[in-house]
This record gives sequence, structure tokens and C-alpha cells, in this order.
Amino acid sequence: MPQVRVFAFTDPDAYQERIRASNAAILTSGRGEFRASLAHVTFDRLWMQWGYDSLPRIARTTLDPGRAILMFLADSEQPATQIGGREMANDNLVVYGRGSTNIVRTDASTRWASMSLDHAELLAAGKAIAGREVVCPSDTYLVAPPPLVLTQLKAIHALAVKLAKAAPEILLAPAAARALEQQAKHAMVACLTGDRPAERRWLPGQHARIVNRFLEFLEIRPDEPVYLAEICAAIGASERTLRTCCQEVLGVGPVRYLWLRRMYLARQALLHADALAATVTEIATAHGFWELGRFSVEYRGLFGESPSESLRRKISA
Amino acid sequence: MTGFGSKTFTDPEDYRIRLAGAEVGFVVTGRPSFDTQLSWIELSCLRLLAIREKAPRVAFVSLPSALLTISFSLACNDLLMWNGLGLHRASLVLHAPGERFHQRATGAVRWGLITVSPHDLAHYSRVLLGADRSQHAAGLLHPSARSAAELRRLHAQAAHLAHTKPALLTRPEVARALEQDLIHALVTALGSAAPDRRSCLRSRRSAIMARFEEALAAQNGAPSLPALCAAIGVPERTLRLHCAELLGCSPIEYARLRRLNRARSTLLRADHRATSVAEVARAHGFAEPGRFAVAYRALFGEAPLATLLRPPAVSAESA
Repeated sequence: MPQVRVFAFTDPDAYQERIRASNAAILTSGRGEFRASLAHVTFDRLWMQWGYDSLPRIARTTLDPGRAILMFLADSEQPATQIGGREMANDNLVVYGRGSTNIVRTDASTRWASMSLDHAELLAAGKAIAGREVVCPSDTYLVAPPPLVLTQLKAIHALAVKLAKAAPEILLAPAAARALEQQAKHAMVACLTGDRPAERRWLPGQHARIVNRFLEFLEIRPDEPVYLAEICAAIGASERTLRTCCQEVLGVGPVRYLWLRRMYLARQALLHADALAATVTEIATAHGFWELGRFSVEYRGLFGESPSESLRRKISA
Repeated sequence: MTGFGSKTFTDPEDYRIRLAGAEVGFVVTGRPSFDTQLSWIELSCLRLLAIREKAPRVAFVSLPSALLTISFSLACNDLLMWNGLGLHRASLVLHAPGERFHQRATGAVRWGLITVSPHDLAHYSRVLLGADRSQHAAGLLHPSARSAAELRRLHAQAAHLAHTKPALLTRPEVARALEQDLIHALVTALGSAAPDRRSCLRSRRSAIMARFEEALAAQNGAPSLPALCAAIGVPERTLRLHCAELLGCSPIEYARLRRLNRARSTLLRADHRATSVAEVARAHGFAEPGRFAVAYRALFGEAPLATLLRPPAVSAESA
């Protein structure tokens, strides 16, 4: 029997924790209120996931090595999205490498969708449906499958998500669920076998690899401010190299990224702090903002409210 | 941990002791009288000084041999000169360790100084700029306007912080952030800088002028130009030219101003019950006390006796 879960979030940290089959670290990079929602549909072997988030963001995601995962954009009006430094369009499909780490960047609110099978089931489905072995690649690639095949995949996914939100009781009926899961498996196998392998764009590119090292360094220091010189020393890339790579993959230079990250950490700290015990000065300086006037102005510019307003406001999870 | 503070000086002798391990001789060359405010911040590998001076003066500086020093003007005017070259708003001087040079202020100036060990600067330059771009030549440099402005802005903000919110600087995270921001700005500015072609011609000139200072220090009375030139080993014409360029006056005039400054320093420290103005004047090569008093008053705005009778100045300090 399938399971259906639907979530809504205002806290990016809570959102990233709920994303399935992957370990995501999200940094929002645009101004405004963060809103996100997530839907999980868990069939017998196949999982579907649908997500919406309201702000431009950069996500670094490490995938569950136990599953073969496809990802695509769920909104036909979706503006530019990038994965591993490459432009991803609406008619593209991402086939994630087994246990790979990927950087996905969006420039506006995004609706995305994913579908996954465990490796054994993918192998079995490949043999049954396409008559050959279908395996998950070790590196991620981006591809434009034949339009019909992708449309089919998207339609099945959209139907399941729609039902999950509006009429979950239909999904819970065993017969309907089985039929939908079978169709989804067919569509997945068709997507993995129907493309021309020569047209696959393999990820990450050279630049994204360097950015990956950069983000990895940050990830093992989740709560502390980090400065450029320390990173350049640790990953062995000069600022110029890092700037070229970050511009391409993250859309901002490393200095700006580190600044955004510190802003974001400061914001999370303000939102979760006890307004009676903590002060803006304390939190700002703990995150390396020593020019307090400038911090307030830039904070307001980025998040649309003053630091003290954030501190007073209790976040609703 | 950081050390920081700020202090106002009215006596060049007190002030020079504070200047980052450098040996500095000040010669005030005009009015208003000496009044200098110094703010300093010591971080783990950088030391910052921000200086606000009112009196026109010439400083002969011998830098410590273990440190690199970077100096730059913080004001919009061009009143500060390094070895006779004006420091524009967007220029930096990267001083070699142990460098000896003349710095001249022709009016009220604001300027900044950063010292760093050559090892640390090399490390951060290599890390941030890559091995191929991490070498910096000493001398007058013209960094990109943007990076120079950022360095100046951070420097001014840091000095402002030491002045207005010193408690913040005791937070380790603030000190670390401040230092990292400054290192980044400094390395970026040095990396973007083009050397000033005139500065390579300065090393011979400054070596001659350093010998000139040594020759002046070696004698007590009023020196004669031929004797000075013989001691330095240059023709009179050369010495005159260099003095005009680096000090803004003739060698003999500079020697006279220098002796007046020394006399003032002695008067400020002397006990008026045990010393007379005439004695001090004679000790600094002024044979006629009357003419000494006139020259002294013209330069410092008060009679030598008033200086002698003045109780020792108490400099205002906050640290």
C-alpha cells in the first residue's frame, strides 16, 4: 500500500531535512519570505517526490547510493536552473550518478520532481520492459530524452502528486497504486534507454568539481564563519580560479557566496535565538560581521526585514 | 587576542615610541603645532595604525627589518609624500623590511599603516593569488581603484571601531573577521597593483638622504654644507636637489629646523630650575639666544621660555 505525505515549510533547514533519498544543503540567495512544500508518494518499490521552494537558492545534494534517481522540472514556465554548472531546461532530465554529489542552482522559485527505484528493481524492470540491463550511472548526466517519453514521465508524476494532494484515498487503493507504479517504472526505463548516449552531458564539469571541494569544506563547518584565505589554502585553488568556477556554477563569486552563507547562518541564528537573552550584536559578530551598521543595511536588503525584527519573530516550523 | 587603543600626542618624542617598532625622527617644519592622534590595532598577523596629524613635518623613518610595512594616505589631499613622491588617494607604498625613507607632510594629513611579516604576506598572497602572481615589488604602487578603496574603507572602519566600540574588538570572532577581511583587501590590492616607474629611481636618492641624516646626527652644532657633502660623498648640487625634492627645503635649512626641533624636545623635558634657555640653545648650535628665541617662536608659536616652564604634557590615552 502506498504512503502519501505532504509538508509545508517556512524554514529552509526543515525543508532540506525532509527531502528524501538525498542529503541536501540549501542556501537561499534571494530576498523575500521562504516558503516550501514537499510531497512524498511511496509505492511498493518506486518513490516519487515533488518539491516547491519560493526563493533562488543553491543546493548541494548528495544522493542515496542505494537508489537510481531521475530529476526534472515540474513547471513548464520554470526559469533558468543549473546543475553542475550547466544550464538545465524544461525538456531536460537529470539522471543522478549513484551516490553522487551535485550542485543545483535556481534563479527564482522552483518546482521540481524526482522519481527513484532501488538498483535491484531497476535491473529487473529493465529486463522485463526493455529486455536489457539498465543500470544507474556512476556519474550524473543531463539529457534531453525524446519529447514523448519525457512528457509521459512528467504526466504520470504530475498525476500522482495531484492525487496525493487532492484525493489521497484514490492512491491508497491497491489496484490504482499498482497500475500507477507500473506505468511510472515503464516511463523511467523508457527515459533511461530512449536517449542517444552521445547526447548525454556528463556532470560535474571541471569547474563544478572545484566548487564541490569548496562547498565540501564549508559543509564540515556548518555553523562557523569561514574566510576565503582558509578555503583557498585548504582546497589548493587561487581566488581567481575559484572565482571563475563559482561564477559559473553558483552564479556568484566565492567572496559573495561566503558572505551569503554567513548572512544565512546569522539569519538562522537570529530566528532561532531567544529574543530575551540574545542580542543582534552578539549574533552578528559571532558570524564575523564587525561593521554592524553595514550588516543591518545589507541584512534588510537581503531578507527584507531588519535583524532585530528577525530576532523578535519566532519562526513557525 | 588583540591589542588596541588610541592616543593623542603633542610631543613627537612620545609619539615616535609608539610607531610599530620603527625608528622615527620628526622635524616639524611649520605651524600649527604638533598634535597627532594615533589609533592602533594588533591582530594575530597584522598590525594597523591610523594616524591623524596637524603639523607639517618631515619624518625620517627606519623600519624594522623583520616586517613589511604598507603605508597609504587616508585623506583626499596629496599632502603626504614618500621620498618626494606624492601619495594619491589610490596609491600604496610597500616598504621593504628595514627600509629607511623620508616621509613629508605639507599640511594636515591622515594616513594608515599596516605591518605584516613577509612570511604571512607571502603565504596569503600565494593562497589567494596563486603562486605565479604572489610576488610584490617594494615601492610606490598603484592598485586598482576599487581594491585601494576597499582597503582604505576597511582600515578606516577598523580604526573607527577601536575608537568608538573597543569592546567589540575583544571578541575573537570579530578580530578574526576583521583580520581576514583586511588580509583579503590587502592581498587583492597588492595583487592588482602596478608599480610606479619613478620609484625604482628612488633607492639611490633615499640612500644618499639616509647618509645625510647620519651626517646630521653625527654633529651637534650648525653644520657647513661642504662638510656635510664631504661626509656623505656627493656634490653640493646633488644634495641640494635631493633635499628640495624629499624635504622641501635646503640642506642647511633642514639642519636648522632639525636643531630647533631637538631644542624643543630638550626644553619640554628639562627642569626649569636646573636649565636655562641659553644653555639649551647653545647645546643645539644656536650661539645667540635672542635669534634662537625669534626663530623658535616663528616655528612653534611660543617663546622657548614658555616651553621650558610648561609642566610636562600629559597625553590623552584610551586603550
